[in-house]
Amino acid sequence: MLNFLDTPAVLHSIYLIGSLILFFIGLYGLLAKRHLLKIFVSIEIMELAVYLILIAIATTSGETAPILSDGLTAFTGMSDPIPQALTLTAIVIGVAVTALGTSMAIQYHRLTGKVSVTEMTELKD
Amino acid sequence: MTFHFTPVWFIAIPLLLAFLAPLWVRWRVLMPVLFSAQFALFALALSWLPTVRIAPVLETIVIAPPLGIHLHLDTVALLFVTLFSFAGAVVSGFIWLGNSAPHLRDRPAFILILLLIAGSNGMVLTGDIFNLYVFIEIVGVSAYALAALRRDKTALEGGLKYLIVGSVAAIFILFAIVLLYLQTGQLNIAALARAFADIPAQMQLLIGLLMLIGLGIKAELFPFNFWVPDIYRGSDSEITALYSGVLVKAFLFVLFHLTFILLADPTVARNWLMALGAITMIVAELVALRQQDLRRMLAYSSLGQVGLITLALAFASEMTTAGALFHVINHTLIKLLLFLLAALMLRQFASLKLADLQGLSRTMPIAAGLFVLAALAVLGLPPLSGFVSKLWILKGFSAAQTFWPIALILIAALIEAGYYFRWIRTFYAPTSTSTRIQSDGERILNYAPLLLIAGLLIVLGVMPFLLEDWLTQAAQALLGREALLNAVLG
Repeated sequence: MLNFLDTPAVLHSIYLIGSLILFFIGLYGLLAKRHLLKIFVSIEIMELAVYLILIAIATTSGETAPILSDGLTAFTGMSDPIPQALTLTAIVIGVAVTALGTSMAIQYHRLTGKVSVTEMTELKD
Repeated sequence: MTFHFTPVWFIAIPLLLAFLAPLWVRWRVLMPVLFSAQFALFALALSWLPTVRIAPVLETIVIAPPLGIHLHLDTVALLFVTLFSFAGAVVSGFIWLGNSAPHLRDRPAFILILLLIAGSNGMVLTGDIFNLYVFIEIVGVSAYALAALRRDKTALEGGLKYLIVGSVAAIFILFAIVLLYLQTGQLNIAALARAFADIPAQMQLLIGLLMLIGLGIKAELFPFNFWVPDIYRGSDSEITALYSGVLVKAFLFVLFHLTFILLADPTVARNWLMALGAITMIVAELVALRQQDLRRMLAYSSLGQVGLITLALAFASEMTTAGALFHVINHTLIKLLLFLLAALMLRQFASLKLADLQGLSRTMPIAAGLFVLAALAVLGLPPLSGFVSKLWILKGFSAAQTFWPIALILIAALIEAGYYFRWIRTFYAPTSTSTRIQSDGERILNYAPLLLIAGLLIVLGVMPFLLEDWLTQAAQALLGREALLNAVLG
């Protein structure tokens, strides 16, 4: 009865809607939360949503990895490997940025005891 | 053994040096190597000019485009690469020769500056849009780390703010790239340009908007530049000089390179981008009027100039584009000079508030003189180079019978005159003896890089024909969509 859920069009729209909801959750967190770490978490959620869109839309269910082995001799029914490579690269970059941000936030907290962006007023006149 | 020169060197040399540096901590010549690498890059960039003037250099990495990654070195890219390495060389020269703060004279600062230059060069050279994203993040991470390098309250606050705003911008850029890939299945910018017209119109608009938000934040355009003055106020002026001189220019190049190459008819985006540039310029100049801190004032003044450059580039006529590219060079030189002067003043006076800098010309006559020179160059008075570039832009607009930008640019120059002369008047005001600080002597070595820039401003102002051919060719390369597509895709 629920077979229609497996058609690529339906699957892709489900993935797309889910990812967009995630993206807006992240955007909400970014705009509404004031705690530095929560802001980093929100940024990560937004990033994750973008990765999900790329991966989910670029692959259809039933496709296999594009590796010629285990009796596979031709590139048929294989998924596009580029989105996966891109996503891996982007994840690594995202981790590096978040690590830098978290370490800076920790140092800032040690120096000033503050964790909220609304308290960051040192630079205003 | 023959050396085969390729554009990869502009990215590979600084990147390799930066990553190998931690392994050679005990090596005594490490610091001189890191320092002189900037000059080597500058010399390398200049030595390429004759080759690139004849035909653009296309460096394919492993597989030919559109499948593989390639670097595209044409006259406009070379112009930016030369400018970036010059800025890197001047700033590291300034840090090296003068007695800058210890955290700047240490290894991490030099490594991060090298990474920043490598990433900026990569952004300008690359012909692959995902590669562009990677370079944007390389530049981003090194810039965040540089902002927080001093590790005190203000620097960390600036760094954190920069990191948050910068990563959000990067997400928007990534989103646009993902949508582009899903729509066309291409990552090569030239191949994308061919396929872009086939994307549904609403999708085109969405991609354009996401790109504009992302790159607009990074290139400090109007509604997205609320964060800039805080960062400029928080980080060291030596580093800020690089932000204003290198980072912003790289992102402006990317914004307009993508606009001109993806859109078959750039006039679609022309009015929007011109409006954005005009608003950026006027708002920033007006806010700059009432700034009490020199760094904040310079930040707003820098935003105003970015607006002017955007306005002229978006018009997309050959004359205004050449003028805008010349203004990019001038603005980089002027802002390097001004921010490095601010660094010297901060060392002497421990504050950059308007009230505290009164009578500065007594203790630092050379600095005050150079500030006046730079201010005149920003305003565009002859015989300084700012005059020539503004003249070219105005001539371009009047040749096209479009007069509202001319009026706005002149009004902006008037406002600029207002606040720059306020600062100059303070510098030359009589000192109240109580606030006088003993000078540690005006070391001429501190001023060597600054005098070099001042000399260049005058030389380019008197003899703009030195650059004229190069700039015209660069403008043609930036606007020449078909030529580029044919060169890359054959």
